[in-house]
Amino acid sequence: MPDMRFAPPNPLRIADRASGLNAVSVRSYNERLLLSLLLQNESISRFEIGVKTGLSAQTVSVLVRSLEQEGLVAKGEAQKERGRVGPPTVPISLNPEGAFSVGVSVGHKHTDVVLIDFVGSVRFHATLPNPAPDQNSNHSDFLETVKKAIELLPGETHQRLAGIGLALPEPGDGAHNDPTPPDLRFSALQEEMENEIGFPVFVQNDITSAAGGESMFGAAKPLSDYLFFYLGAELHSRLILNHQIYYGNSSLSFDVGIASLERCLQDINCPTEPLWDRAGAWPDYGQIKESWETSLVDQMKRSFNALAQFVEIKTIVLSSYAPQDICGAICENLESSLIGVKAIAGIITPSPKAIGAASLPFSSRFMVENKEK
Amino acid sequence: MRSVLCFGDSNTHGQMPGGTPLDRFGPQQRWPGVMGRELGPGWHIVEEGLSGRTTVRDDPIEGAHKNGRTYLTPCIQSHTILDIVIIMLGTNDLKVRFNQPPSEVAMGLGCLIYDIKELSPGPGGTIPEIMIVAPPPMLDDIKEWESIFKGAQEKSRKLALEFEIIADSLEVHFFDAGSVVACDPRDGFHIGRQAHEDLGVALAREVEAIGWANEHV
Repeated sequence: MPDMRFAPPNPLRIADRASGLNAVSVRSYNERLLLSLLLQNESISRFEIGVKTGLSAQTVSVLVRSLEQEGLVAKGEAQKERGRVGPPTVPISLNPEGAFSVGVSVGHKHTDVVLIDFVGSVRFHATLPNPAPDQNSNHSDFLETVKKAIELLPGETHQRLAGIGLALPEPGDGAHNDPTPPDLRFSALQEEMENEIGFPVFVQNDITSAAGGESMFGAAKPLSDYLFFYLGAELHSRLILNHQIYYGNSSLSFDVGIASLERCLQDINCPTEPLWDRAGAWPDYGQIKESWETSLVDQMKRSFNALAQFVEIKTIVLSSYAPQDICGAICENLESSLIGVKAIAGIITPSPKAIGAASLPFSSRFMVENKEK
Repeated sequence: MRSVLCFGDSNTHGQMPGGTPLDRFGPQQRWPGVMGRELGPGWHIVEEGLSGRTTVRDDPIEGAHKNGRTYLTPCIQSHTILDIVIIMLGTNDLKVRFNQPPSEVAMGLGCLIYDIKELSPGPGGTIPEIMIVAPPPMLDDIKEWESIFKGAQEKSRKLALEFEIIADSLEVHFFDAGSVVACDPRDGFHIGRQAHEDLGVALAREVEAIGWANEHV
């Protein structure tokens, strides 16, 4: 029996030295643990990584080295914190160019396609009409747009695309006046995209995607526990505890969203196009908007109070593609009537769902399943 | 106070390129001294550089005392407690008399890593931080040393990768000195004054990057 200490070194434990991303199967639990921390924090030192993961400094050193070689992680400049005894700390953060992801969100009327980098910056965004159920659909248009986004990555960076995230609405979402349920319409989409485009496609509920996007790249990054609202055609909510997005069997949503405002405006023959324009601002809708906002905020308060019987939540995050000032006003309104609660408007633009969808390949490929604090 | 042991060969000893072991850079000029200056007053630097030292091989010509493995144990026990052990060796193992490929030199380093882990000379009997430093590759022209080192130049360029593989496998820190310094053309395998300065600074940054808890004074 040879002394196994002196068996040949096991090179499987180090990163593949070829360029591009490692195969999914090679990524170890510890690498995912470390990438999870980096996706949840702007930057972090090797010492803090050790404290948070329980890994030894030497193990962290090996992991960081292999992720650096892979181009996923970048070393920062040493920083001497004021008042701190001991040597300066060297922060480590994600390399923005280390990985890319495409997000596709099929919404109420439009489909959004984005390309984001590893820190969530949007490199490409396009809005197109939803693919229609009939054979005259713009399906090929849709695939072309996704391909166009991917082509923005030149040469070798092409291999750094982690995948495509697809955010789909619940089948029962009432605001869709199309008779064919979206799940049937888009069930083949995942397979078709994988075959046509050649990258793995990850599918997720669109509200959960939006929550995931705010959590990874947006206003909720530093938060671990909060109630998340998504204001779209309807009002949706998710509960986030310890960074985990709870998505139960219930796909309950409330018809107090932008679609309800649209109906009120249509009743008085007021133009409603600006409501669905992602980049624009809403005109002054006066009293109609005021009373809509009141009923919306009332519903949000009811949801919050119902939840408050079971868990103590101090923070509300509101995500929407509605203009920032609209969301800001709703948050102020909420804060003034819910004492001690902080309401934060999401900061992800232009499409929280699509950017959230794009975060899905990152979390699937790089994070541990139970996101560690 | 933290202690760092610098365990190496003539390039840790500070031997001047083209000189003999008696031609030595001053304590402030050698890389351990530079590193100590950069790390600041909280660190105690122990210099253990011996000209001709190998990883695990008795030298049939220069003597058995050149064997790094034999000397490592008494050396470490003499300097306990150690927070970090930095090892920069490998060049002398490439002498013709040993006839070793780079992978075997890396295996030798692996032995030293195991020995340090078994000795556990860290605070409270723990394993200290261990940092493997791959020496900068030799230059093609090594003057009168060509006969002693015949064929070593090519092998020396492969040491960094072999060392990194063993460092990754055994989970220790690794630094490639060849990424910041080159050997001096005066003899082709020793590093000059500026290289000592650059290497000392680079290694201080590497030591800091490990991350250290605030010292309870």
